[in-house]
Amino acid sequence: MGKTKIRIDYSKCGPNGKIDPRDCSKCLNVCDPCVFLKHEDLKFKEENIYDPQHWKITAVWPSVCTRCLKCVEECPEKAIRIKW
Amino acid sequence: MCKWCFKHGIGQKWYLNAKNYSDQLAKELDMEEYLREQWMNFETIFIRKIAGLSSKGLGYKLQMPLVGKIIRWSVERMIHGTIRRPNPIRADGHVGQVIPMEDAKLILSELAAEPIVETYCMCRMMQRGVKTQCCINFGVLSEIIEKLPRFIPKERAHRISREEAIERLEGHNKKGFISTVWYQPVPYINAICNCESPECGALRLRNDFDLMVMSKAEYIINLNQDNCQGCKSCVAMCQWNAIRYIPSINRVIIDYNKCFGCGVCRHACKYDALSLIPRKEFPGFNGHF
Repeated sequence: MGKTKIRIDYSKCGPNGKIDPRDCSKCLNVCDPCVFLKHEDLKFKEENIYDPQHWKITAVWPSVCTRCLKCVEECPEKAIRIKW
Repeated sequence: MCKWCFKHGIGQKWYLNAKNYSDQLAKELDMEEYLREQWMNFETIFIRKIAGLSSKGLGYKLQMPLVGKIIRWSVERMIHGTIRRPNPIRADGHVGQVIPMEDAKLILSELAAEPIVETYCMCRMMQRGVKTQCCINFGVLSEIIEKLPRFIPKERAHRISREEAIERLEGHNKKGFISTVWYQPVPYINAICNCESPECGALRLRNDFDLMVMSKAEYIINLNQDNCQGCKSCVAMCQWNAIRYIPSINRVIIDYNKCFGCGVCRHACKYDALSLIPRKEFPGFNGHF
């Protein structure tokens, strides 16, 4: 299998977007091999160290992606794009 | 016996040495400051980064001809690092081992330092978006975690007694979670996690990228072939795909290469066919961790 590229549009999902990844998390739930990671946005790290408020989702393990495209279907903002 | 038991185990298993749990050791190594820094920035240190590198696309990075080898070397060096002053941002020396329920109970009843807390599992929160209360932390670390609201469950008490901790651990194990014990950092032990296969950050590195973050247990499963009735209930419990049902002989077979020796499958067996034996007594897999 060649390389899978997973792009997430942060203008639609994330600290600047319409939805907060903490409330949605649909892509995390639907992904069988757990490709996505929900984490604190590195840019806003210093703001509130005890309880971070800015979160985003990154596709950290694209090499285990099975290309089922369920995350693309599930995303309410259509922010995920997969290319191979 | 691997290097951890030689160095920190005084002739037995490393996690059965009471010195590794003591508050005195934590004070000596200045753990409090280190762990606070690490847990405040948990989401940016663990899983997202590895050895200071972004772990995004780590699988592809490791496949690169020369760069991949260098990355693998530096990551292994970080994971097994035993530097005197570890760097909290790189998470040096965070290795674990799978343990069966009996050993986990022994740790909780005799060795773990007070106070004991049960918090949300961060791996499941970050990788699956669910909040499961199943990480048991003790000693210096639990006082630090208590101050961080995102780790603290609201519906169930988080500060628990030894008896409660054992009871909850038993519940997790019967549900199918794998108990693991953790250095954080070497040689201070302060957590028993109850892991699941694709969500756990350590198991991802071990199973998919072959990095030795988590060792196999000191035990291995032994199947009594005459007792097995072929009910297949153990197959559903195994997180490692190590058990398979073969219809023509009407029993299960075990892939010993994949078995981590967690012993979770025993809880499903109604016919007393599965038992754990020490890895030493299994000739082919003695020393394979």
